[in-house]
Amino acid sequence: MKFFAKVAMALEGVTIAFEAIKSNKVRAALTISGVAVGVFVVVAMAAAVHGIRESFQKDLDEFGATTFQINRRDPGNNQCNSPDDPCPDRKNPPVSLDELHAIQGLPEVAYAVARIGTSTTMTYRDHQLKAVGYDAYTTDWIRTDRADISPGRSFTESENQSAAPLIIVNDTLKSQLFGDSDPLGKEITLEGKPFTVIGVFHTKAGFLKTLNGTGPDQPRAIVPMMTAWRHLSVYKRGIGVSVMPQPSITRDDAMDAVTALLRSRRGIKPGANNSFYLVGEDRIMDIFNQFFGAVFLVGMTLSGVGLLVGGVGVVAIMMISVTERTREIGVRKALGATAGIILWQFLVEAATLTTLGAAIGLVIGAILAELVKIYTPIPASIPPEAVIVALVAAAGTGILFGMMPAARAARMDPVESLRHE
Amino acid sequence: MSPQIEEVGLSTTAERAAVVGAAGSTPDKDWVIVTRGLKREYDMGGEIVRALRGVDLAIRRNEYVAIMGPSGSGKSTFMNLVGCLDTPNAGEYWLSGQLVSTFKDDELARVRNKEIGFVFQTFNLLPRASALHNVELPLVYAGIGSAERKERAMEALTKVQLDNRASHRPNELSGGQRQRVAIARALVNRPAILLADEPTGNLDSTTSEEIMKVFETLANTGQTVIMVTHEPDIAQHARRVVVLRDGLIASDTKREAFSAKLVGL
Repeated sequence: MKFFAKVAMALEGVTIAFEAIKSNKVRAALTISGVAVGVFVVVAMAAAVHGIRESFQKDLDEFGATTFQINRRDPGNNQCNSPDDPCPDRKNPPVSLDELHAIQGLPEVAYAVARIGTSTTMTYRDHQLKAVGYDAYTTDWIRTDRADISPGRSFTESENQSAAPLIIVNDTLKSQLFGDSDPLGKEITLEGKPFTVIGVFHTKAGFLKTLNGTGPDQPRAIVPMMTAWRHLSVYKRGIGVSVMPQPSITRDDAMDAVTALLRSRRGIKPGANNSFYLVGEDRIMDIFNQFFGAVFLVGMTLSGVGLLVGGVGVVAIMMISVTERTREIGVRKALGATAGIILWQFLVEAATLTTLGAAIGLVIGAILAELVKIYTPIPASIPPEAVIVALVAAAGTGILFGMMPAARAARMDPVESLRHE
Repeated sequence: MSPQIEEVGLSTTAERAAVVGAAGSTPDKDWVIVTRGLKREYDMGGEIVRALRGVDLAIRRNEYVAIMGPSGSGKSTFMNLVGCLDTPNAGEYWLSGQLVSTFKDDELARVRNKEIGFVFQTFNLLPRASALHNVELPLVYAGIGSAERKERAMEALTKVQLDNRASHRPNELSGGQRQRVAIARALVNRPAILLADEPTGNLDSTTSEEIMKVFETLANTGQTVIMVTHEPDIAQHARRVVVLRDGLIASDTKREAFSAKLVGL
């Protein structure tokens, strides 16, 4: 049949679909709600994953595109949680302070910063805060973290080496312990030992920090690495190192240099596995994608179920619609509509129903994403391609499930259908 | 034994057979409709019902014919065949020089669109569409573009004096107006035949007369009109009356003779 007729029929089908929806609001609502729910679920989920991924990427960019970490264990391997797990990484030694110094001495490396994170009770006079998180850092932390300290200052290398009892607090810890008074020079007690406040740092907001409870609204402190090493009970095997290569050096080259250094220092034979892991931004992203890929798959399954339910609804409403409009179909055939045109008309109608459902689901999903963004730390945002995928999938569902009722309409005998009351 | 009853018709069975010509031969251009030995049977749960048992009929271009007959005479079946809504079990049906009795569904749809304008007893307008859109519909199926469609639909509505009701929906129109919209729809694609099935069946007598005048005018301007009715006073408007009985033509009478016969009774 002619192209014009098809387009005209498509437009008419859309109009008819809207008329049918208007005249049968409840039935239409039930039909499209399945599709709407399916689309809504997948859009909300896609928005969350997309938002998390984007801000995660931003965190990583801030962290530095060439910066990488030296870990004892493979961060992507989750089989190291109990002593019974087959986990060869457990035998790996932590990076020692000597190794750290050697890495710092490599020509490819601009800075290498060691960190041990833990928490303890902090006291100032009668103010006592339990389980305040703090980091023990080597001196260059201020460069890799691009930290901003005011008022006050960070500690010097000689203060670090002499294990001076100095502490830097963040804004939240400062106001919780000292209120509005000047924190500099005041003494905080950690594990019974006095630490002098020398500066206030400002925790940068970041999605990961918010997720693991180290965001700007949490009290937090930083002490020199050697001070913690000698005077505080920190888990020395939990030491982690961030390496920032020289600006002219690629990350891979810097990683190769660090690998060669550690292998020779540790006496690892050629062919034997490394007893450490170098983790770049891409690896972290891989792990992220692995995890959220699974989340996404669940979302797709859920929305698939939604579309299936919606599709069954489409079959039901279209079957009723076809029966109710038997006479109309007869008239259309008498006026020259072929079976193909009738089929097309009802398919367009079914697709209109499901696409409308998808549009509603998208709107609800967008509203929810906005609410999530406002009221939770998850920066949800709908990826534009998800909108297209949702609409196309919904239209496809309409066409697929509309096929049976549409074929029934197309096959109707004109004489019989004209006689239908 | 054939139950065929010969009345004061213009032709006998033999004469009709002579007019419609030999099987397989293409009828003369002048004949818009020729049926030869048209048969239609239905299987009603194992019982074969012979609705049409071999109808020979020829209708010239510009004729105004009424098909009559009691219920069960086969006139509805005959109308469905003539309207290409149904296909015969045997026999030939030639419409505008085409042997449409051999056509497949899609070809029949095209023939209905191009050659036949239907007018139904119950109007059969699409309830949610405006008068104009109803009239446009055959043109949509003919694949005609929107601008030309609107223009031609408006033209057809003007012909039935409803151009001022173009945007009204059927439920905003009177019965007579609805039937006029239906007539405009039937005419819009310039069909070879206007096929009306009890066109006044749902109308009061005044409105019926009004519709009959429209048919009269159309017939006078050269439109071939075939009307199925069981009402003699409606059939009287036609210039030729074909009466079916038991699936066969019982009589075929020109208007003058028909009137004379009615007067004579």
